[in-house]
Amino acid sequence: MFIENVRQIRIIVSDFQPQGQNVLNQKIQSLVYGLQEVDKLKSQVQDVHVPLEVFDYIDNGRNPQLYTKDCIEKALTKNEQVKGKIDAYRRFKSYLLVELNNVFPNELAKYRAIRGDERPVT
Amino acid sequence: MMMGDQFRKVEQYSPKSSPRGARSPVVSRQDSTGTLKTTISLGKNPSIVHSGPFYLMKEPPGESDLTGAVNLMAYYGLEHTYSKFSGKKVKEQLSSFLPNLPGIIDAPGHQDNSSLRSVFEKPPIGGKELRPLTTVQLAGFRLHPGPLPEQYRYVSQAPTKKHKSRHKKHKHKTEGGAVGGELSAGEGGGDTHEKKHKKQKRHDEEKERKKRKKEKKRKKQKHSPEQGAGGLTPSQHSNA
Repeated sequence: MFIENVRQIRIIVSDFQPQGQNVLNQKIQSLVYGLQEVDKLKSQVQDVHVPLEVFDYIDNGRNPQLYTKDCIEKALTKNEQVKGKIDAYRRFKSYLLVELNNVFPNELAKYRAIRGDERPVT
Repeated sequence: MMMGDQFRKVEQYSPKSSPRGARSPVVSRQDSTGTLKTTISLGKNPSIVHSGPFYLMKEPPGESDLTGAVNLMAYYGLEHTYSKFSGKKVKEQLSSFLPNLPGIIDAPGHQDNSSLRSVFEKPPIGGKELRPLTTVQLAGFRLHPGPLPEQYRYVSQAPTKKHKSRHKKHKHKTEGGAVGGELSAGEGGGDTHEKKHKKQKRHDEEKERKKRKKEKKRKKQKHSPEQGAGGLTPSQHSNA
């Protein structure tokens, strides 16, 4: 409604006719009421946090949903990378324990007793 | 710290292969004390001091419930959002996100000082109560009749809605190349509008020309019916 009011004011003003003064005055008043409404609504968005990068997207005439899309894709890629690293370290640890168990069986038994690692070494 | 240094020293001088085969050196195998961590001092009086259970044994990192090993997208219930954005192609323009906003909003905001960044970098004066304007204040908005000066007219360009309808028409024409078609229509929206306008103009002009020629023809036919056939255009031929 507020935007529509602004649009109508723009049309009235772009080729102003003297008889349009009253209409323009009314429109300006409704603009003030519209601003009052917007001001009242600000409490509803107090806890909404918007990333600054989103403003860059909007300022460049780009769809802000693209930011969400980019973020989700980045998060997924990072998640996969970290999962890959964790899996690799887990595998490395199990191989290392197997090999250490072959070479230092007594020490490893003590190590496992201290660590509380009850998993069998295969 | 001292342990570490000692260990490094030992490492430097330690042979490539252990003389006892695949067994740890220095400390005897039958260690039941659990004090395998030792400080070895070399030099004139070499000594081995048992100081702890293992070399380089650190506290394990704290176990956290949530790690990157978990599918975090599923954990936070964002799978629907992911499939929503990954499945279809999100349109690049801001106008496709805010289709109801009038005017051209896809242009960079800094061009016409309408950027959101400028709002929080230079915040407007706020905190005052918004009151309707008095009649005296409204007098300040009394305008001169007539169109706006040229430099302010750029804002009254074709609204986005018209772009949309044109998109559809363009799509029907191209059919296969929907994506390319959309982009070209979005970029050259003004051009197509002009072309359309020109076409209509031409059409009107042709109509008028035909009318005039028909009238001439009639007049000529009244005077000399044989002469009229000489100066006809192909279209008039078909009409005749």
